Amino acid sequence: MKKISQKTLKKSFLNWFFWNGCSQQAESMLGLAFGQSMAPVIDELYDTKEEKSEALKRHITLFNTEAQVGSICNGIVCGLEEANANGNCTPDLISSVKVALIGPTSAIGDSLWVATFIPILLTICLSISQASLATGWLGPVLYMLVYPIGTFMLSWYLFKLGYKSGIEGMQTFMSTGKLNYLTDTMTVLGLIVVGALTASFVTLKLPIQIVRDVYDAAAGQVLENQVIFDADKVVNSIFPNILPLLLTLAVYYLYSKKKWSPLKLMGLIFVFACVLTFIGYATGVYV
Amino acid sequence: MQIYQIVLIALFVYLGSIGSIVGNTIGWYTLGRPLVAAFVVGLIMGDFQTAVMIGIALQIMYMGNVTPGGAVAWDLSYATYIGTAGALVFGRGLDTAQVIGLAVVFAGIGGLVGQIMWNISYALNLPLNRIAQKYAEAGETKKMFIPNLVLGQLIGFACRFIPAVIVLTSMTAASAQGDFASLIPGWVTTALGVFGGMMASLGMGIIISFLFKKKYHIVIFLAGFILVTYFNLSTMAVAVLAIIIAILYYVSITSLEAKRGDMQ
Repeated sequence: MKKISQKTLKKSFLNWFFWNGCSQQAESMLGLAFGQSMAPVIDELYDTKEEKSEALKRHITLFNTEAQVGSICNGIVCGLEEANANGNCTPDLISSVKVALIGPTSAIGDSLWVATFIPILLTICLSISQASLATGWLGPVLYMLVYPIGTFMLSWYLFKLGYKSGIEGMQTFMSTGKLNYLTDTMTVLGLIVVGALTASFVTLKLPIQIVRDVYDAAAGQVLENQVIFDADKVVNSIFPNILPLLLTLAVYYLYSKKKWSPLKLMGLIFVFACVLTFIGYATGVYV
Repeated sequence: MQIYQIVLIALFVYLGSIGSIVGNTIGWYTLGRPLVAAFVVGLIMGDFQTAVMIGIALQIMYMGNVTPGGAVAWDLSYATYIGTAGALVFGRGLDTAQVIGLAVVFAGIGGLVGQIMWNISYALNLPLNRIAQKYAEAGETKKMFIPNLVLGQLIGFACRFIPAVIVLTSMTAASAQGDFASLIPGWVTTALGVFGGMMASLGMGIIISFLFKKKYHIVIFLAGFILVTYFNLSTMAVAVLAIIIAILYYVSITSLEAKRGDMQ
């Protein structure tokens, strides 16, 4: 009965955790990194050169995932290789399981970790930095500690989970509904914080004003260059910061519904900024 | 910039990019985030208060820049390190909004260079498959790190470090030509300020497109928005409030589910 030692499992995990992105390319994506991660395991499980060669060849083929959450794949494959070395699994099964894992692990990793957890952690750290200039360093330092350590622990936990309980472990992990609740909760948290950030960081003024000389009846004199109409003030008295809000929602609409690229949106914003600056100079808001 | 500053910043451009030696978790997802990157540049350049301000602005703008499925929308590492360094070098004497506007422009230039370099390294990595195939064929388990770690790393380093040094050196040379703040006309800096403020909507707009999953979610977003505009809370206060609300939300939905389970 062959068993992968704890030391080898750690080595396999560390190979993956640190170097999963080193040789990314269009042909096998993270395949070569996966091969490097499996190499110590293969070395321990198989004796002959032919067996090792076969095993290595099936692990440098196409593989892709969100690597941090995707460490569960490496764990599962370690478990399967161990079973295969003991005659309880077949190479074909290993390869097909590996391919099947690409979709779900990428989806969970990208949506839960990369697109939700990172922005939320960043927004919290941003708020800390913004609170006071003197303690501005606190935000980045906090992120530098919390993110790598937290991710390392999660990644190692998922790797071990994958190895111990295999596919069943992942299925129970995904089907309990806990994951959905967690995502929902993170979404609520994220939406509130992003709303607050939008209000405090997006700035957009409507630089239109009308300047006239006004006769002040009480004082009996003409006051020169009085602002009698300020479009920005009027708009903000209806709903504070409505223009930044509308701009952000417009970007959202163009990006998610009209599929505009960020670069195209950047161009549009640039043109708008130039037009607004011109109007501002024309009506005397900017001098 | 001094030579040691150029070398150090270029080194961090490489470390913060995808697939550097420290791994994507510490590299791309930590050192490559604008908030952290600007802080590092600030330490190297000795002006970390301005740098952190730039970092906050760039972080908001690029908040939506995540890499789903490995497609790099914009090379963050290049964008922020070059953007912050550029703004610090050229922005002396300008006010905050204008320095941020300047940083946005330099970040755009940096991001573009980074995007090109990413595509080049992506293509250069292709032959590594042949080398890995050769080792696998021979069953050399002890040598599997060579194509991935050693060669992949060399390509990554060459594609990040060298162009960054060139960009930073030419920026330094250009800034020596004169006082930038007095050279550019007033309307350009005004436009830069307006542009910088509007660009924050890009990051926020993209990130809410990930977060809006149900129609009513826009109301939750608006709640965060008006807490700042109507109630004048700081973003930090809203963040604390949001964590409390999230915990209550989690407790209520899970206990609701538990009750439903009991009834069945």
